[in-house]
Amino acid sequence: MTTTPLLEAIGLSKSFPGVKALDGVNLRLAPGSVHALLGENGAGKSTLIKALTGVHRPDAGSIVVAGREQRFADPAAARAAGIGVVHQERNVIRSFTVGENIVMERMPRSAGRIDWSKVRGEAAACLALLDVDLDPATPITELSSAQMQLVEIARALYTETRVLLLDEPTASISGAESDRLFRVVDRLRDDGRAVLFVSHKLEEVYAHCDTVTVLRDGESVLESQPLAEHAHDEIVDTMVGRSLGSLTVPTRSAPRDVAPALELDGVTTTAGHHDVSLAVRPGEILGLYGLVGAGRTELAHAIVGLERITAGELRIDGSPARIRSVRQALQRHRLGYVTENRKEEGVFLEQSITRNIAVTVWSSLARGTGLVSGRREREVVSRYVDDLDIRISSLNQLAGRLSGGNQQKVSLAKWLAASPRILIIDEPTVGIDLRTKRAFYELIWRLADEGLAILLISSDLAEMITLADRVAVMDRFAITGEVENDHDYDSMSREVIRLIHADADAL
Amino acid sequence: MNRSVSALLRSQSATLIAIVVVGTVLLGIASQGDLFSPVGLRTFFQFLAVPILIGLAQMITVAVGQLNLAVGAIGGVAAALSAVLMADVGVPPLLGALVPLVVGALAGLGNGLLVMLTRINGFIVTLATMTILLGAQYALVGTRTVSASNWEPLAAVGKATVAGIPVIFFAAVAVAVVVALAFRFTLTGRQLLASGDNPEAARLAGISNDRSVVVAHTASGLLCGVAALVSLASLPGVNQSVGGDWLLPSFAAPIIGGVALTGGTVAVLGTVLAATVVRLVDTARAEFQLAPAWVNFVIGAVVLGTVALDRVRQVRAERRRGALRAAGPQNVTPVEATR
Repeated sequence: MTTTPLLEAIGLSKSFPGVKALDGVNLRLAPGSVHALLGENGAGKSTLIKALTGVHRPDAGSIVVAGREQRFADPAAARAAGIGVVHQERNVIRSFTVGENIVMERMPRSAGRIDWSKVRGEAAACLALLDVDLDPATPITELSSAQMQLVEIARALYTETRVLLLDEPTASISGAESDRLFRVVDRLRDDGRAVLFVSHKLEEVYAHCDTVTVLRDGESVLESQPLAEHAHDEIVDTMVGRSLGSLTVPTRSAPRDVAPALELDGVTTTAGHHDVSLAVRPGEILGLYGLVGAGRTELAHAIVGLERITAGELRIDGSPARIRSVRQALQRHRLGYVTENRKEEGVFLEQSITRNIAVTVWSSLARGTGLVSGRREREVVSRYVDDLDIRISSLNQLAGRLSGGNQQKVSLAKWLAASPRILIIDEPTVGIDLRTKRAFYELIWRLADEGLAILLISSDLAEMITLADRVAVMDRFAITGEVENDHDYDSMSREVIRLIHADADAL
Repeated sequence: MNRSVSALLRSQSATLIAIVVVGTVLLGIASQGDLFSPVGLRTFFQFLAVPILIGLAQMITVAVGQLNLAVGAIGGVAAALSAVLMADVGVPPLLGALVPLVVGALAGLGNGLLVMLTRINGFIVTLATMTILLGAQYALVGTRTVSASNWEPLAAVGKATVAGIPVIFFAAVAVAVVVALAFRFTLTGRQLLASGDNPEAARLAGISNDRSVVVAHTASGLLCGVAALVSLASLPGVNQSVGGDWLLPSFAAPIIGGVALTGGTVAVLGTVLAATVVRLVDTARAEFQLAPAWVNFVIGAVVLGTVALDRVRQVRAERRRGALRAAGPQNVTPVEATR
């Protein structure tokens, strides 16, 4: 290729005390292309993005923007050079409108005052460029998280961004929302811009990216190659650095003749569910699939007493149960809920690993005396640390110091320590790398084999088809159907998608 | 063991110990040994008891992510009511000594229940109760000073020393030890920290944040009551001004001591040491006969400096952490970064 790359990194290195985060990374983003950046957690993807956007200053190597070498003193300098980034977490001013959020970095002014008609006009132009149908006057808080993401892309366009870095843009949005995002990405490509796309989902990478760079342990082990020339398995092997082989789904025989451990019968909730019925038997994994916003997490909340059930019945081991709080769920029914959002809901960042895991057993350890013995606490905890292979330097380490995958494990360990019989697991593998993902899958199977009744919530269809014994599909707070899982991706995905779109109009 | 020693050396407590030692030596030299004279030592420790207690009282609310603006008002009312009961009603001193503790705990319980039931921010709630209690204190003692001669036995305890150190200082240290042990070994202590660290996670783990908030405010009020009792015992009398200058020192001790204002952490040793540093500043002021305003200036500046230093440390740690865990969530958002 003879075209000058819009952005080129040559031999980029960056070290932090005790770790070489980037080690001679090369990357070329050609105009009019979508470039996938792949790698496991900790491979250096985020550090690379930070180095390219002026957050980190590289120790060695150079950054060339459209043929000119650049040194970014700060993120504003990268911005000025036409490099924009949309982070995984939403980054909007919640008290602003859509339009204000788009133009906020350079508010149009006339005579020293903000020119409001120009704000609306220019914001509308940016949205039109992306073919996004949003009114600039809408308060941003009325938007879904996926729509906010589009607003952030529009903001990047407004500041004449030629290179857009998207850090895991699809990690927390639904399939239909991803489709819309990719339409926007396609527009950017047609427009001659370059997009760097970070994702853990290889299916969408293959569907939408042209070229690929794979990072492993801070090195670019595959550099700006045409994606079509590299097969799926080859990419995975490059990422993990050794051939893991494909994951074999164990033959599990979920018991059929036992009574359900958890049963919902025609349940209506304050969250908006109507007539939801499902049943999970001991030793069984029931998948609950649906788009983001379909009401799955809310259903979990209703089961553990965070939302109220207004009609219908919740039964545990065949007898009606009224659960008013998580504590009741845990102590009376040994029902645990592994939350979706680890950082916000699952982990105490300033507390030790020990306390993070033991939180669910404190009251039983303290029974009678009100005192918790640190020794007994550690006994309980260390078992699960070994069991789940949580990588820590000491049990006293603060949870905030752990990687995302390990935080996830800590969150899960907390519930295992409470020795539950029923476990609701919400999005277990969002944002964690392949190796940890496999460890999680094996763990979930093992828990089911040990007789736990597991309700698994996931937006990752492949994960659902790998793990679940049966898949129930939820759409708009109701169950639209249930499918026996034959673990055949093609037939299962067709069946499940059909159930989702059974009565939904195309988005 | 080695690890915990080295952790201590790197901690805020180590810095504070160094400051206390250097400060004491310098002040000892500057005062030509006055500081180490029997009277000097007794005075120093006598007026250290209250700062330690109110610092701990504030620390407990901060640990659950709350704060207590009413520390001084609670202490003032508790002391005033007890004084009036003993002087005017003739309540025996032994019973009178219980009054501040009961009043303190009840006032704290009231704060906690108000925060829990109204869901109003603790800042507003305690600001309001502070004002109410200040009014009550004025209503009780008005402009007079109730003399300590009305509770001789208590005042005797206030004057008592062991090895030249006032008993009330040992009492404050004992309270600190109890607080430290409670956070380390009790179920409730752990739950308070969990609620303060991440209320959402605590709720989902079956911990009642409401209970944590109420318990923390009650304990905080109780400690204000203990501080009021100490004041009763050690002051020549009780008037409207008791508790009036507690607010800033109550925040200064935990903040300088290394307690995160965002909740979820405690630092009992740090709080005690920081209270000692503040006491040294106060002693220096007396020694050099500076205007009392200088003490407020210095304490205010130290609090700001500590918070700023802490912030710098945090940002550095986050950068390091962000790099180690390269795929973790962003710490620096572009919006922040461009500003």
